[in-house]
Amino acid sequence: MEIRHARKDDVEALSDLIVRTKRLNNEFDPLFAVVPDAKARAERYIQSSLAAPGHLLLVAAEGKKVVGVLRAEMRERIFYEPHQEGRITDLYILPEHRRKALGDEMIQQASAELKKMGAEIVVADVPAQNEIANRFYVKRGFRALINQFAKRP
Amino acid sequence: MNPAPKDDSSRKALEYSKFYGGKVGFAPKVPVRSLQDFSIWYTPGVAAVSKAIEAQPELSFEYTGRWNTIAIVTDGTRVLGLGNIGPEGSLPVMEGKALIYNYLGGVNALPLPVRVKSADELMGFVKALEPSVGGVNLEDIESPKCFEVLDRLREEMSIPVWHDDQQGTAGVTLAALFNALEVTGRELRGTRVVLYGAGAANVAAERLLVEAGADPKDIIVVDSKGILHPEREDIDQLMLKNKWKYELAIRTNGDRVSGGLKDALKGADALVAAARQGPDAIVPDEVAVMNKRAIAFFLANPVPEMLPDAALSAGVEVVATGRSDFPNQVNNSLLFPAVFRGALDVKAKTITDPMVIEAAKELAAFAQEKGLRRDYILPTMVQWEVYPRVATKVGQAAISEGVARRSLSPQESMNAAMAAIERSRRVMSALRNGGVIVDPPE
Repeated sequence: MEIRHARKDDVEALSDLIVRTKRLNNEFDPLFAVVPDAKARAERYIQSSLAAPGHLLLVAAEGKKVVGVLRAEMRERIFYEPHQEGRITDLYILPEHRRKALGDEMIQQASAELKKMGAEIVVADVPAQNEIANRFYVKRGFRALINQFAKRP
Repeated sequence: MNPAPKDDSSRKALEYSKFYGGKVGFAPKVPVRSLQDFSIWYTPGVAAVSKAIEAQPELSFEYTGRWNTIAIVTDGTRVLGLGNIGPEGSLPVMEGKALIYNYLGGVNALPLPVRVKSADELMGFVKALEPSVGGVNLEDIESPKCFEVLDRLREEMSIPVWHDDQQGTAGVTLAALFNALEVTGRELRGTRVVLYGAGAANVAAERLLVEAGADPKDIIVVDSKGILHPEREDIDQLMLKNKWKYELAIRTNGDRVSGGLKDALKGADALVAAARQGPDAIVPDEVAVMNKRAIAFFLANPVPEMLPDAALSAGVEVVATGRSDFPNQVNNSLLFPAVFRGALDVKAKTITDPMVIEAAKELAAFAQEKGLRRDYILPTMVQWEVYPRVATKVGQAAISEGVARRSLSPQESMNAAMAAIERSRRVMSALRNGGVIVDPPE
C-alpha cells in the first residue's frame, strides 16, 4: 500500500470516493441528501483541488487501484491563535481496506505535510451525526472544536 | 406443471383446526392414582423438590420436564411466505412446528408467539424464559433483526438457541449440497456456489459452507440489488444497516464479479436460491450459463423461484426445492427435531455450527446408504430412522465441542434418542387407540 499525492489520472477514482463519503454522511443525516449530479461536481472539486495552492490531496493506492482519499486545505483563523489551520475536509477508505490503520497513516502524513505548509493546528470536518467519523478522530487525540447547529428556516 | 400446491390442504387445515381446536396440548407424564397423589406432585411433597433445585439449579434438568422442553418463540414478523402477520397469525404455524418436534423428535415444544416492539424486548423475553426450558427455537423473525437476536442470545444464554430459518434451512441445504456434489462428481473445495437471496437462510448457509471447508472466495451472494461486492454503491449503507450482508460482501466473491444473477451464474457449479416466489423469479436463460452438471436449489415456498422441469430443460442436472410434491425436498423438518433431540439428550449449552455440520453430514450419509440419484439426494420425512441417527451425531458433536453437560457414548445417545422418539409415537398411538384423538370428520 502506498500513500502519495494525487495525480490527474486519479480524478475519476477519487471523485467516486468523494461521492461515497457524501452518501455515507447522508446515512446519518437527511440534511446531507446528495444531489443527483454529485459525481460531476466531485470531479470538478477534485480537479480544482489538484491545481490550487494551499490544497492537499493524498491518495492511498494498492498498485494501480485507488482505495482511499484525504483532501485538506489551508485556512486562516483571522481572530484566533493558532492562526494557520490545516483543514481536513474529506477522508474515505474503501470498506475492504478499513481496519488496517490506513486512515491513521493518511492522517499522520497529512498532518506532517500540513505542518510544512504552515499549519499550526489540524482540524477535521465531520457531520455531527456521523458517529463513526467522530469516534475516529476522538480516538486519535482530536477534540470537538465548533458545534454547528442547523434548522430549516 | 401447476406452480401452486395441488392438494386441498388449505381447506382441510381450516376445517380440521377448528374441529380439533388447535394441534397440540398439554398431557400429564405422571399417574394420578387418587387425589392423594397430589401430595406428591404438588404441596406438601413438591416443596422438597423445589428446595433441592434451589440449592442446585441444574437439578431442574433432572426433577422437572425442563430437560426435554423447548419454547418456539416468534414475533410473527416474517411468517412463511406471508410476511408480518403478527403473533396471533403465527400461532397455527408454531403449533404445527411443536407437533413436528413432538412426533419426530420426542421434544416437548411450547408454541409461544409474543407481542413485542423491538429486538431488545424480544431478547428480554427469551432470556427471561431460560429457567423453564432446555432450549429455544426462534422462528419466523424478519431479517436482519433475526441475526442480531440469534447472535446475542447464543452468546448470553446457557441453553441452546436455534433460529430454524437460519441454521435449520442452511443445515438441510448443506446436506443436499453435499450429496448433489457427490452425484455430479465434485468436491466442496473449489466448487463455485452462487447464493441468491441474502436473508436468514443464505447468510447462515454461507457461514456453514465456509465452516465445512468451502473457500468464501468461491461463493457469490446476490440480493435484490445484484451481486454483493465490496465496492457496491450501497456498501456503506449495508455497513450501518446490515453488518451481516456487509461482511458477506467483503468476504465472498474473490473475483469481484459485479452485475446481476446471470453474471454471477457464469461459470458457477451450484445455485442456492432462497430469494422470492417463482415460478419466474429465475429464468432458464440465467441458469443456462452455469457450468456443465449444474446444481440448483430453488427454496422459496410455496412457489419455487423456478420450477424443476424448466431448470432441467435448461441443462441443470440436480434440482431441489422446498416442496414435497417434487423430488429432493429441502425441508427443515428433516433436521430440527433431531438437532434438538440430540442437544437435549446431552443437556447441551448451545448448538454450535460444527454440530449443525455433523447433522448435515449424517443426513447426507443416510441418503447415500439408500443410493443417491439425481432425484434422491436427501432422506424424506417418512424415513424416520434418520432422526435418532442425526440426534446421535449432534449429541456426540456437542460432547466433542465441549458444550455438553452430560456425556453419553454414541450408543447411549442413540438409545436416548430412540426412547424419546418412540415414546412420542406410542403416546400418539395410545391417544388414537383410546379414542382421545379421533380421526377428522369426512
